[in-house]
Amino acid sequence: MEEPATEVDTTTDAIKALALRAGAKVAGVAAASAFNEYVPAGHRPTDFLPGCRSVVVMGAQGPSNAAWQSPNRRLMEITGYDFRENVSAMVVADHIETEHGFLAMPAPGLPTSGQHPPMSMMLSAVLAGLGTRSIAANIILNPTHGLLYYAAVLTTMELRPDHQLEDEVCPARSCVLLYEQEGRTPCMAVCPADDGGCIDATIEDGRITSSYFDRERCSTRAMNFGIRGHIKQVELLSNLADRDERRALLRSDDFRRNLASIGRYKESVAQCFECMRVCPVGRYERKLK
Amino acid sequence: MTAVVTNRAGDELDPAEVKAGLVTTAKRRGASVVGIGDPALLDDQPAGMRPHDLLPQTRTMIVLGGAAPRAGEWHSPRAEVLETLGTADRIGVTASAIARQIEDDLGYYALAVPTGTDHGDQPFLRFSDAAVAAGVGSASLAGPALHPDHGFLYLAVILTSLPLEFDAPLATPACPAPECVERYAERGTTPCIEVCDIDDGGCLGGEIVDGLVIGRRYDAERCRDRVYHYWVPGYQKVLEAALDEPDPARRKMILYGSYFTRTMWSITYSNVSQGQCFECVKACPVGGDLRALK
Repeated sequence: MEEPATEVDTTTDAIKALALRAGAKVAGVAAASAFNEYVPAGHRPTDFLPGCRSVVVMGAQGPSNAAWQSPNRRLMEITGYDFRENVSAMVVADHIETEHGFLAMPAPGLPTSGQHPPMSMMLSAVLAGLGTRSIAANIILNPTHGLLYYAAVLTTMELRPDHQLEDEVCPARSCVLLYEQEGRTPCMAVCPADDGGCIDATIEDGRITSSYFDRERCSTRAMNFGIRGHIKQVELLSNLADRDERRALLRSDDFRRNLASIGRYKESVAQCFECMRVCPVGRYERKLK
Repeated sequence: MTAVVTNRAGDELDPAEVKAGLVTTAKRRGASVVGIGDPALLDDQPAGMRPHDLLPQTRTMIVLGGAAPRAGEWHSPRAEVLETLGTADRIGVTASAIARQIEDDLGYYALAVPTGTDHGDQPFLRFSDAAVAAGVGSASLAGPALHPDHGFLYLAVILTSLPLEFDAPLATPACPAPECVERYAERGTTPCIEVCDIDDGGCLGGEIVDGLVIGRRYDAERCRDRVYHYWVPGYQKVLEAALDEPDPARRKMILYGSYFTRTMWSITYSNVSQGQCFECVKACPVGGDLRALK
């Protein structure tokens, strides 16, 4: 016989529903203590919110389905990304504080020192049962939607945690078959680490047994606009002695693009989606009329 | 014959109701006007800038107009008010939300065309021409597409595979307004030309013959210099000046000066400062009734 829903169950479901109404595609909950096994002190929920008991995680689509269809790759590079997972996180945090009287705050997911964020949104998504790590740039793939962007809320409120996914989303069945036939998956084929790309892996019995990801190389391709691009150009400018060369750089498309993407960060979060473009996970969801 | 429209579950829907629902939602989210345009009307645009070049499945163009400066802002005696509040961001956000709604609820592709620019600082799609095709405005002597009631509006465009009934382009252009025709007949100028005469250091020129604008002249480079003196072009200019300055003390003055700071503010807060000159539109009588409040 099924157990009757407790107050915690009801509240948890209501908060997840709110997260979806606020713009998230998926929502899940992880116990704050679940992080202890995976990350060192300094990167755990309780390090940011003492007494934290639950982590609500929300995932949202990046580019629209139509953007994936555009033959103009530059459009995909700057297409509107609306940060709905962050909006959803704000709404949920506000709701928990005002309606339930528990402490709640969006988790710090942006790097503050080096390239590492204070708290991993990827791990949060895995622990909340929303996805698993993939061969393709370690991106967390949701079984239904594939690539999603994640945000989280830390709260002292007790909520019912979700189970981690039992089945790995990656490799997909079709990728396993391709690997068995050709020794590579679609993402490895489009960006092979041994041929100037970023991705490599081995698969045995349908499971990833090893994976390699060249993050530095990927970073220079996926994030070539924005703050890093501008920093690089400022360095170039400061080293250029010739006034005309400086002017040419200052007036270039690239310089303007970097500044525009700093001003409108949502326009330009990433510029390479090739491994995700060929990934079969979530493809059916992306196929519309 | 109107194409069949279905929701994500495959249930057939009334296309007129779908259209009305999207228009209502867009207006609730901040659009002042909404038009449904035939993408084929933009087939004569340069290759790469046609709707099908951006989304091959495009059947319909939804054009939103809104987020114009408020009446109070138009009436402020301080130029700095409009200089720092002119923004297309709000209507861009609305377009993004409507595109999501079409994809999530109805299951059709929907692309909110980026408001940023492509190579060579060219737009992905000419929003003004899309607005004309969707009946949201008509071409004007001043430049922006003008809506007959609202005048100047910021625009956003959604390309979608959702088949909807098209709105026709405006039968009567909003520009020249009757008072401009009258003034041209009396004085050989219009309010917008008067305030920014291309033959006297400004950007606009043209004639009105039989109530129509003929031989419009527009100095795009000069206009750009004035409209975008903050934001990215301003930053490029002031950074170049700083780098060219050999004297460290003067260089420091440039870098810490209010102009440099202003350009940085307007880049990071792009929603506060995209355009700085509104003089031609401020003088334009189209939409004036809606700007005249108590």
